[in-house]
Amino acid sequence: MSMDTDQRFPSARIIGRGVTVAPALKSGIGLTFLLALFGTGARLVIPILIQQSIDHGLQPGRVDVSYIIRLCGVGSVCVVLSSFCLREATKRLGTRAEHGLFSLRSQLFDHIHRLSLEEHNNEKRGALVSRVTSDIETLTQFFSWGGLGLLLDGSQMFAVAAVMLAYDWRLALVAFVTSAPLIFVLRYVQSRLVSAHNLSRERNADFLGTVSELMAGAETLRAYGAEQTMIDTVALSMRNRRKSNVRAGVIGAFLFPSGEVFAVFTVMAVVGTGLLIGPAGGLTSGALVGFVFLTYRFLEPIAEFTEIIDQVQSAVAGLRRVLGVLDTPIGPPQSEHPRPLPQGKLSVDIQEVSFAYGARLGEDDDDTPVLHDISLHIAAGQHVALVGPSGSGKTTIARLIARLTDPTIGRVQIGGITLTDVSNDELRRRLIVVPQEPFLFANTIAYNLAFAEPHATPQDMNAAFDELGLSDWLESLPNGLDTHVGQRGSSLSAGERQLVALVRASMVKPDVLVLDEATSSVDSLTEVRISRALERLALGRTTISIAHRLSTASRADRVVMLENGRIVEDGSHGVLLGARGKYAALYEAWLNSTSGSTNA
Amino acid sequence: MEQSRLRLAISLLRQLLKFHPKPFLIAVAGASVYAVCTVASSFGLGYVVDHVIIPRYQLNLIDRHTFLIASIIVVGIGLLRAVGVVIRRSYAGISHWSTSESLSTQLIRHVMSQPSRWHQRHMTGDLVARIGVDSDTAASVLGPLPFSTSVVLLVGLTSIWLVVIDVPLGLLAVTVIPLLFGLNLGYQRRIDRHFDSAQKALGDLSEAVHESFDGVMVVKAFGAEDREHVRLATISSKLKDARIRAVNARAIFEALVDGTPSLVNVSLIAYGAVRVRSGSLTIGELSSFIYLFTLLVFPLRIIGYLLSEIPHSSSGFKRVREILDEPLEPQPTVNLLPVGSKSAVEVRSASFSYADDSEPIFTDVTFTIPVGSIVAVVGETGSGKSTLLKMIAGLINARTGSVHVTEGGSALVFQEPFLFSGSLQFNLTLGKSLPITDIARALWASVSEEFVSELDNGIDTIVGERGISLSGGQRQRIALARAIASGRQTLLLDDTTSALDPTTESIVIDRLASQSETTTTIIVASRPTTIKIADYVLFIHSGVVHDLSTHDELMLTSTPYKNLMMSFEIDRKAS
Repeated sequence: MSMDTDQRFPSARIIGRGVTVAPALKSGIGLTFLLALFGTGARLVIPILIQQSIDHGLQPGRVDVSYIIRLCGVGSVCVVLSSFCLREATKRLGTRAEHGLFSLRSQLFDHIHRLSLEEHNNEKRGALVSRVTSDIETLTQFFSWGGLGLLLDGSQMFAVAAVMLAYDWRLALVAFVTSAPLIFVLRYVQSRLVSAHNLSRERNADFLGTVSELMAGAETLRAYGAEQTMIDTVALSMRNRRKSNVRAGVIGAFLFPSGEVFAVFTVMAVVGTGLLIGPAGGLTSGALVGFVFLTYRFLEPIAEFTEIIDQVQSAVAGLRRVLGVLDTPIGPPQSEHPRPLPQGKLSVDIQEVSFAYGARLGEDDDDTPVLHDISLHIAAGQHVALVGPSGSGKTTIARLIARLTDPTIGRVQIGGITLTDVSNDELRRRLIVVPQEPFLFANTIAYNLAFAEPHATPQDMNAAFDELGLSDWLESLPNGLDTHVGQRGSSLSAGERQLVALVRASMVKPDVLVLDEATSSVDSLTEVRISRALERLALGRTTISIAHRLSTASRADRVVMLENGRIVEDGSHGVLLGARGKYAALYEAWLNSTSGSTNA
Repeated sequence: MEQSRLRLAISLLRQLLKFHPKPFLIAVAGASVYAVCTVASSFGLGYVVDHVIIPRYQLNLIDRHTFLIASIIVVGIGLLRAVGVVIRRSYAGISHWSTSESLSTQLIRHVMSQPSRWHQRHMTGDLVARIGVDSDTAASVLGPLPFSTSVVLLVGLTSIWLVVIDVPLGLLAVTVIPLLFGLNLGYQRRIDRHFDSAQKALGDLSEAVHESFDGVMVVKAFGAEDREHVRLATISSKLKDARIRAVNARAIFEALVDGTPSLVNVSLIAYGAVRVRSGSLTIGELSSFIYLFTLLVFPLRIIGYLLSEIPHSSSGFKRVREILDEPLEPQPTVNLLPVGSKSAVEVRSASFSYADDSEPIFTDVTFTIPVGSIVAVVGETGSGKSTLLKMIAGLINARTGSVHVTEGGSALVFQEPFLFSGSLQFNLTLGKSLPITDIARALWASVSEEFVSELDNGIDTIVGERGISLSGGQRQRIALARAIASGRQTLLLDDTTSALDPTTESIVIDRLASQSETTTTIIVASRPTTIKIADYVLFIHSGVVHDLSTHDELMLTSTPYKNLMMSFEIDRKAS
């Protein structure tokens, strides 16, 4: 319940950090505020005119019209000038906010792409996308409504208070003292309002969560005739959402007119004091009437303030999440003094490498080592298959060689250069990873190939298909290279996506190839195409395959078998089979599982 | 154009208000109290000036009695006005959220009454957005609407009051109404364009960002971080530009809407002075006139914002109606075999297609599956194995011919089964009370009991959204256990064991066979070991479903079957 006091300091720090990260947010804020101050001047012109008219031109029975008209002329000029200032202030605030948010977004793109793969798992992906979109949106909302309101209303209160003091310090004092308790009322109700809003946001998320479960699980529920249980859960979360929102609304409803209530008491206090002071005390009737108008003006912004509280909270929460992402350290850091890789084929060396996920971040869970003191030399041009049960560390080795992550202990070299000394640009031109489930962009095949090699011509692309023996497949597509592959490549089959991914990898003409073999089942014709393409792609290149099908392993120059993060066997397929060890056993089991039909 | 907008608004309100008219009417009553008190408060101010301030300063009179009356009037009206605001805002909130809840409830009831094939045509995310977000957007117009009615009342009363105080001055004052109204309309029209383009840019951006983060592995693999950054920044700068155009338009509007009434006000003072000189007006009346005018300006300034809420709500409501207006489709019918029948499934000269107007996938399918048998459905990828299972499950109806199933129902388990975010217990029972022995038996048969007992909270473990805390194979086994626990007589497994290793898979199938004499299991299989365990094979080849046969028979008689089995072994041959 003490959210307000607890979060005050961190909120201020969050905002402070926000403007450091995106300086456009605060650049020239002083001038913007000054312009806003003049901009709210138009709202002061009327009370001043009323006072001047009553005191100097509107004596009962003796009205000096020409004086009042001259006065109004001056007033009109002031109104026009202050409107101009208002426009400038609004424009400056909005434009700079947009520039600031643009820069925040850009920093997020860049940072997120460079985060390690652990930060990019499926659970976290949605959150990362909403950092760039909806969280930044709450800031946009804030700057275009709440922020602008704060600026204009704040300047209005400031300007009115100054004019009040200039008119009559005694009346001003009375007005300030009478309205001061409002601050306590606001602070008291505001903390309740903030927690009420937080609760309704939570309830809203709960509701959306249950609805999405109901929809996604609709078929399952129907299959077992269990719809009603889930519908009841949704109804409950919906009722809770309504209640919490109505509650926040009612608290807001009491807060909203508080400025007006205080205004009537303050006005009567001011009038009473004015009566006591009287003409003898140097006060005029015009000044008193003008003062009454000013008092209303002074407390007018309170209503809008109460509306802005929630927006400020959401904006700070959004900013906090955005900064949280920017504070997450990026994946393997760039090398500061890169050394060039030698020309030609490259060897790969893994030297005394141990690896544990999360060990670097100091998290205590999940830091059991995945790899224990592994050393492996792969000669230039050799084709090595990594085999072993799932969880044995095959994928981790592939990630280390591709420098998608760095070892906890030990080092990885290619061409004799430690990976941390190789520039990312060069590494990505010399070494390519083909992941298990290759990702294709929702665009044409040509676009996806150009992603690897932006300067490639259609001739280059056709040649690449030809080289991997896939021209016939490309020709079978309705639009050839211009065939649209659909979202995540969904218009193609899993096997066809593999084919495109292999051609894409070949576009770069890498010296080292890291292949994570797909496990999904593929129809037999495509299977043949994939095998042929893989063979041609691996030809003459240092190749590391993570083999799920042992047929792949049997074709490699060398098989390395892993178990629980350790190398247990290493040798050619034939030698290992002859040794009758673990690999031979695994191979035997695999043969049986794929050959049941002929043994029957 | 404006007229159609008005008609749209009226029809929207009529439909929304029929759910909960009462809180809305109370809110409108509160708003009316507010409007009347606002006009009355200017009267109070005039009284203070004429009877309290002017006598004191120009005649040097102090009358405690009048001051007391003035205080009561000013404070009383002020408090009453605040009460009006509290009632209006509270009940407007109730009206908005109750209506939103009613719309969501209606949608859920309608959607849950639609058959499976309807659900397959609709994206889950889209349905969630319509139930959870659009219903809220549709009702959101009810929040500010009572205030709008009070604005109309206020503008009407004020105009009359202003004219009553002084006719010529009143007429000058009311010119501000069409001026501000026109400004608002012009601005709304311009800003809509900018908002639309900003909204579109935002949509493009989130799509691109989503894809780019989705494909981060490729981005990293090809070292394309910088190129992606440039691509996304270009899209993002379009959003920035659209927003800045909107800001510029808004800045001009704010300035005009602030300056125009002030200018009118200045001219009111000038002309008011003339009226005071001619004796038609007192100074107090002029003050109250000016005060009332300033009160009138604020609601007029935001009426445009209120009007802009209507198209927003009505587009939400349209999306809600689109779902509600879809007629309820008939649930697929189930033909039951007579009690005591020896067969679990009988399909007689049936043909099937995905949709009523599309080409049939199968024609003239006839087969009979005996009770208690294990049948493997075998065919190439995309040959229609899943479709066949769905039709046996009764999710798809035969176009011609008939499908008969045994009493006791069937349970279809998918390759990627859906788990709820609650406990394992809930996922197994789906809220029904089942004997503990049934659950234990189901866990045993699905080879789940070991990993479940290793979990910290056993069967009470919360599995997380979509069972995220379990592995793919564990999710498949839990879904299988759910099907077994339901006590259905026919289990239809659509590649449900694909994520299991071959050893566990065969244990599962053995246990399925042993756990009940009367349970029939039909399983889509691609591993030869699994096919070998099955009693019969249902072979699908080039759109033809062959009658039940054994694996050995098919190996001898069917060349396509033999070829398919060979292709399962192609890897072995290659070595």
